[in-house]
Amino acid sequence: MTTKTGTEIKVNYVDTVGFGADVGGRGFHLPVDLSVRSDGRVFVINRSPMHRRGIRVGICDVAHGWYGEFGSDGKGDGQFTSPTAITHGPDDRVYVADEELNRITVYTPDGEYESKWGEVGSAPGQIHGPSALKFTAEGDLLVVDHQNNRIQRMSPNGKYISSWGKPGFGEGEFNLPWGLDLDASGNVYVADWRNDRVQRFSPDGEFIDMFGVHGNGDNQFNRPSDVAVDDDGFIYVADWVNQRVQVFDAGWNFQASLRGQATVSPWAQEYLEANADELDARSRFNPYIEVDTDVPHEVSARVEAFFWDPIAVEIDPDGRLIVADSLRHRLQVYKRA
Amino acid sequence: MTTVQARADYPLVAHLLRRAGFGGTSEELHDLASVDYEVAVDRLLDAVDTTSLPDDLIRRYHIDQSDLRTLPSAGSYWIGRMVTTDAPFVEKVALFWHRVFATAQTKLIQGKVMSTQIEMFREYGLGSFRDMLVQLSKNPAMILFLDNQDNHRDAINENYGREILELFSMGVGNYTEEDVKECARAFTGWTVANTDYMALKMRNNTMRPYGYIAWQFKYDESDHDDGEKTFLGKTGNFTGEDVIDIICEQPDTAAFVARHMYHYFGADELPVPQWPHFPPKDPEAIRVMTDAYFESGYSIKAMLRALFLSESFKAEASRYARVKSPVELVVGTLRLAGGYERPGADVYRATAASGFMGQDLLAPPSVEGWMGGSDWISTGTMVQRVNFASGVVGDLERPGIRELVNEIKAQTGQDATPKALVDSCLKLLGRLDVSDETRSGLVAFAGHGESSESASPDDSDKDHQIVSILQLIVATREYQLV
Repeated sequence: MTTKTGTEIKVNYVDTVGFGADVGGRGFHLPVDLSVRSDGRVFVINRSPMHRRGIRVGICDVAHGWYGEFGSDGKGDGQFTSPTAITHGPDDRVYVADEELNRITVYTPDGEYESKWGEVGSAPGQIHGPSALKFTAEGDLLVVDHQNNRIQRMSPNGKYISSWGKPGFGEGEFNLPWGLDLDASGNVYVADWRNDRVQRFSPDGEFIDMFGVHGNGDNQFNRPSDVAVDDDGFIYVADWVNQRVQVFDAGWNFQASLRGQATVSPWAQEYLEANADELDARSRFNPYIEVDTDVPHEVSARVEAFFWDPIAVEIDPDGRLIVADSLRHRLQVYKRA
Repeated sequence: MTTVQARADYPLVAHLLRRAGFGGTSEELHDLASVDYEVAVDRLLDAVDTTSLPDDLIRRYHIDQSDLRTLPSAGSYWIGRMVTTDAPFVEKVALFWHRVFATAQTKLIQGKVMSTQIEMFREYGLGSFRDMLVQLSKNPAMILFLDNQDNHRDAINENYGREILELFSMGVGNYTEEDVKECARAFTGWTVANTDYMALKMRNNTMRPYGYIAWQFKYDESDHDDGEKTFLGKTGNFTGEDVIDIICEQPDTAAFVARHMYHYFGADELPVPQWPHFPPKDPEAIRVMTDAYFESGYSIKAMLRALFLSESFKAEASRYARVKSPVELVVGTLRLAGGYERPGADVYRATAASGFMGQDLLAPPSVEGWMGGSDWISTGTMVQRVNFASGVVGDLERPGIRELVNEIKAQTGQDATPKALVDSCLKLLGRLDVSDETRSGLVAFAGHGESSESASPDDSDKDHQIVSILQLIVATREYQLV
């Protein structure tokens, strides 16, 4: 267990990007993962089993620019049914994982379909429920093969290289892992979802350490869904059920806990201005009511500004933290002071 | 009246499981039939859920069941709970209150507040009826469904004040129009936080810009009429809770709630609107429950326990005296099929199927709920029922069906007669009793299947013969009854 150092950093709220767009168009619907292209454009996966028209990848930037969308619900080339993860390759190609079809689809940097690979199973190179993707500095693709409770290192075209992990709660073992990230040294951080911890591995997959126990206090997690590491080694964990993002330094010293503080984005403002009755009613709206529950999910359901299922975290080239605030169909942007 | 012995009385326990749950597997039947009937009743009534899929797993794979925004999402979440729980009575009671306190997502738009109401039914559905009415009156879904946010101290809206008397507690004919107004006055100020914005979003039917915000009860003292009221013969500066206290003291309340319980757990009654004009079908069952109501301090569980232990419930004549609701049929069949260790798409198909059969969960057709009884059955809905149930029991990939077929083969052997096969199938489908005519038809079908097979049918042939019998059984009249 670490203790506070007394020299915690500050992580400041910057902005909110997004708008609920459940059948496509500018905005998001149930975003589950994002990836930032080298030029800062943000690619966001939208997903829902019951809103098939809303399944797609939307492209925006943190300055509220909107650059369209690609992909759709289906099993054909370039389509997906249960997309879970997205990342960019060294050449800015886009890779999208689908946990139902058990395949990785490759697109050009602008979202044109190129190829796909993946075969369901538990043998080396087969995948079952890919839940996160990240490239190593060497150009290999790390795949969180979550139903197989392992991390697989693959070539960009799906050739098996190596893997580590097995079911369990010991060192290097997983219980339905979800997101992952790499630090500047190539160490790998895995959100070990149902073990309520983050595990850190060497670039070769050797166990280094792990952090977190079940709970809702500082340094505790309840189903962490993703992790991001910035250039200075600060670690951001999407503490999913606790509805917050916790921030640590490289030694796992607690730095901050973010609960979300969304504001009305320009896209949302446009909507309100086009609906005078809602704009008027919202002028009398108290966004921070005193809630009569302490269940984080329920609190988030009632306080619009808070994160509601913060599912994915990513650091952009300018060091900003972008949080996919899934049930509120938006991104909340923060930056370390 | 014919009654039956308690211990090891499989047909009686099967009857109890159909009414207090969604039917039972042979293992569940055996467990409950091995103890005294009264113990079996208490086990069912006291069961606590330990097997429902945890929310985190559901939400990871079905993100729409995290915000529960839409009817399919919220309905599927509930169906999933009903299918996986080992405390089915709690869900059955929640379904009962959902029918009595009918509230519909079709007006409220967001499914989340409906799901929250159902969770309240789980928590309070077997406690004190007084506490239930208080929670119901504070429930945000109910408040907006019956417009109590528009019920102000200077301008009452009597909608909730009327319905709590007419539909939720006493029934038509047991109060005056003046009581309705005084009741409404007592509930002024019972609203939700951010009333204007929430009501507007509901009317505009839009989740934009950032999804729905769940509603929360708010007591607005400044909008409450604190003046003197005369209600059901009593006078005072009554609040909503005072009015509920007076309602709960009334014998008419006990009798009305008991009749609802009999209608749902006992036998199909006349539709509720006809109750003021016709006496209950079984006055003795009503008496037993009303006695329990007052003796227990308005305990709902005590009323239902009294019903299940009553001679009229145990009587042969009460068995198969109700038409299965679509939800009962869908859930009961899926519970037989098993295989829900991980969230799947089955629950969405099941929710849709229930709708095709006439019961859109969380969207009753009116404030009076579903009429039930023979209303469930039409040419179209019967086809839906048979297609769904036969599709499920015909799927050998489902672990519960695989297990069922293996058990039937083990019980009957390779050279089983058609009659032995049919008897075994009926036994393992929850001890289903069928008429002689139905049984003859099933045996003839089983025999026909056998004669068309080769002289030495292999295991796969046998499997399919058994599955075909199961499919025909779920198409029978008896399988539609509970």
